[in-house]
Amino acid sequence: MKKQLLNFGLLLFGATALMISSCKKDNDGEDNEEEVVTTMQLTFVPQGGGTTVTYKFDDPDGPGGTAPTKDQINLVPNKAYGVTIQLLNKTVSPAADITTEIAAEAQAHRFYYQVSAGSNIAISGLNNDAAGVPLGILSVWTTGAAATGTVKVTLRHYQGNPPNKLANDPVDSNKSSTDVEVEFNTRVQ
Amino acid sequence: MKKSVYLLFAVLYTSCVIGQVCSIRLTGHVHSTSTHENLANATVHLSGVKKIIVTDNYGDFLFDSLCAGTYFLTITHSSYDTIVRTVNLRAKAHVDLDLVPSKGLLSEVTVTGIRELQNTGLKRELSGRELDETRGLALAEALSKMNGVAMLQTGSNISKPVIHGLHSNRILTINNGVRQEGQQWGNEHASEIDPFIANRLTLIKGVDELRYGSDAIGGVILIEPRILRNTPGHNVELNSLYFTNNRQHVLSAIFEQQLKKPASFTYRVQGTFKKSANVATPNYRLNNTGLEEKNFSLTAGLRKEHFNSEIYYSFFNTQIGIFSGTHIGNLADLQNAIAASRPDPTFTGQNTYRFDRPYQHVMHNLLKWKTDFDKGNHKFTVLIAGQYNQRQEFDVLRNSSVTTPQIDLSIYTISEEINWEHPKTSGFSGVIGAVAMQQNNTYTGRYLIPNYGAYSFGGYAIEKWARNDWDIQAGVRLDSKDINTTRLQAASRNFTTYHFNFTTFASSVNAGYKISPAWKVNTNLSLSTRAPQVNELLTNGIHHGAGTYEVGDIYLKPEQSVNVSLSSSYSNDSKTFSAELTLYRNDIKNFIYQQPKPDEPVLTIRGAFPKIVYESTDALLQGIDLSTVVALHKQLVLSSKYSMLRARNRLRADWLIGMPADRIQNELTYTLKDFRGFSNTYFSVEVQDVFEQVRVPGEMYGKQDYKDPPAGYKLLNADISTSFKRGTLPFTIRIAGRNLLNRSYREYLNSFRYFSDEMGRNISLHVKFNLEHFY
Repeated sequence: MKKQLLNFGLLLFGATALMISSCKKDNDGEDNEEEVVTTMQLTFVPQGGGTTVTYKFDDPDGPGGTAPTKDQINLVPNKAYGVTIQLLNKTVSPAADITTEIAAEAQAHRFYYQVSAGSNIAISGLNNDAAGVPLGILSVWTTGAAATGTVKVTLRHYQGNPPNKLANDPVDSNKSSTDVEVEFNTRVQ
Repeated sequence: MKKSVYLLFAVLYTSCVIGQVCSIRLTGHVHSTSTHENLANATVHLSGVKKIIVTDNYGDFLFDSLCAGTYFLTITHSSYDTIVRTVNLRAKAHVDLDLVPSKGLLSEVTVTGIRELQNTGLKRELSGRELDETRGLALAEALSKMNGVAMLQTGSNISKPVIHGLHSNRILTINNGVRQEGQQWGNEHASEIDPFIANRLTLIKGVDELRYGSDAIGGVILIEPRILRNTPGHNVELNSLYFTNNRQHVLSAIFEQQLKKPASFTYRVQGTFKKSANVATPNYRLNNTGLEEKNFSLTAGLRKEHFNSEIYYSFFNTQIGIFSGTHIGNLADLQNAIAASRPDPTFTGQNTYRFDRPYQHVMHNLLKWKTDFDKGNHKFTVLIAGQYNQRQEFDVLRNSSVTTPQIDLSIYTISEEINWEHPKTSGFSGVIGAVAMQQNNTYTGRYLIPNYGAYSFGGYAIEKWARNDWDIQAGVRLDSKDINTTRLQAASRNFTTYHFNFTTFASSVNAGYKISPAWKVNTNLSLSTRAPQVNELLTNGIHHGAGTYEVGDIYLKPEQSVNVSLSSSYSNDSKTFSAELTLYRNDIKNFIYQQPKPDEPVLTIRGAFPKIVYESTDALLQGIDLSTVVALHKQLVLSSKYSMLRARNRLRADWLIGMPADRIQNELTYTLKDFRGFSNTYFSVEVQDVFEQVRVPGEMYGKQDYKDPPAGYKLLNADISTSFKRGTLPFTIRIAGRNLLNRSYREYLNSFRYFSDEMGRNISLHVKFNLEHFY
């Protein structure tokens, strides 16, 4: 009996010691957030020749911390641009291109472009997902006469299972939620 | 170290062999389940002993000079059911016995363990029939049956108790004697305990809270298993439940055994399995609200005359689906979802056990070793406990091939306690203890709180005195806590470390007086201090689901609470009426809360988020709890509960947000006489009436909430229960219905009130089966 008691006690102390040593886990506590989007970049290729321009919203340290920077989109009047959108995560090195993930899950995503009245920009030609519903990684921006205004770019994510994404869903549909939302100031001149 | 262990056991062993010849003392304590009071004048008879003993004013009795052997202990009282208990006496023993009123609803007798010094401050408990009625529910739901306790919820699967308006880290949860060190960083972080472990749930506020910490501003919840078997034999308890609303089934089993040889060894194995499908509100079913839980515990004990040792391991493991309609991208989404009268059909209508992201996976492991021994009426207890808690949160992701959690937090805690109870002399009893704790937290994934290492040391002393009609208790406690945090920000490679040190003091004084045998008054004054938690100091980021950007404050000071409570209980001689009234006033300096800053939105690539910062204010919480039990007829009992709270933010001269509304509960129970082998048969109907919360902060400092509090609601619940034997096997069957009228309603303390209605009608079937075999 005495021996049993001793063994029992030793076993317990052993178990405790084991737990204490397992606490010493080396990890400095580094953030490792997946799917952070820090940057939205729009690349404008003028149709019929001209200089390619890029404008971006950039928040390299992610939400909080240093405030993000946002370019004004300057475009030439009466011109059509082929526009490609790109989302990046710059908190990792090298920066991750998130657009490819979105393209891979096109049926659960959609970019919306909302142009303020009087900004003299028309946006059309959004590319579609496999089901023929707009996806919007590619778009065509056509400018009119000189004007200033805003364009709000929103990436909506359909979280339902199945996503149930339909062509006539409004940008604020309760079926989807916002992954990215940036409002750029625009100037056509 | 090894040597000291040998020495310890050597000392213990020698003390075990002394005094085997008819010198054993049996003490006991008799307690009433209806009045929660010590039961005086109960007759105690021990088989083979000629003397008949009557319990004293404290419900205590004592038999001296007994020989080792098996005895039958019979307790009788004119107003209570007689109970007979087998006591296998080998060493000095103490039994706690709960007596049930004889016209009452329950005949089960519970031996509730080696008696601790009773806490006479605020004390409410659930055991026996009342606890049985909560089987299958989450811990917080069970606790909310106590007057003054409400529930803070995130949907119907995540809940935590709110005691007199306070919750989370302001409440200590004691899991089988060990302070639970889980994760309570947000409202969606529920208690990590299987309520089936408990044979009794107790809420205390008073001197005994000092045993567990100096920070029990809201109170302490004790989760107490029944004591291990003390007679050779084995017993089995099986509980099986089915709930119609979410097709939830629960199976819980307990097996206990005490061997004949060695009779000093006794153990228990307990396990629970729970699985539920999506929850249905009266008008729609919420997708992704399933749940799966698997828990077990093992307890083994060794009992000797002057020595008891117990080892306990419990494992809690749950996966909880979170309604997909609440996973919000940004503020505009949140406002749209809130504005809609019901969730979008994309997120409703599936009736399945399957759930996907978003969900939580929470695990809690506890290993405890407790040993007590006595020498010359001095009692010493040593307790060592290790806990490992892991919380993983799986968010909805763009990339469906990712299988890892987005938040992953692991906390290891080791705690040690040693205490000494001095001999009871002329009404005095007391305990002095020292405690230490080491804790380590690591995170991966999204930042919520940093890595930290915490160390704390503390000591307490509690003294109790009781004589005649007076009962006076007092205690003090001091703790010192060191926290070292580290965080490396991925993007900026910014490495930040902080060091915090908090010294917290607590004390409590309690005085009770019996004006007459039927009427008792009690007053309690407790001072508690709670150091800010790591999340309150250092959180920084988007709170998904709440649609806010939360920021901690490293300059927060400890909260200091001065809690005064006055209570009075009365029960008439014929036991046809009893009442209990509690008035409380909790004055909290540096009360930490979340203050929205509507003028300082945080701009992110998802759009602007409202900023919420942890701030402190001076808070004042005052309230009343009243409960009455009236026997309208021999078999018809009306029990009523009323609780009211007024919570003020004193610095802003405004109400505090998120406080429970006033509520009234009335339950009418009709108990049938035993017939044809059916016993304890009763019907009960309950009306639960929750008022609208109209005391919410104004808009002087900007909008404080997204939506006005929902309207008040009334729910109709009912219960039918009976016990019978098939052959020699006793069964209890209970059918219960909640929200029988299938009312659509929303509860202010449920964060899903922004999105969806509460659960609709839910009918449950509970079968309980007991088997006992003596060797």
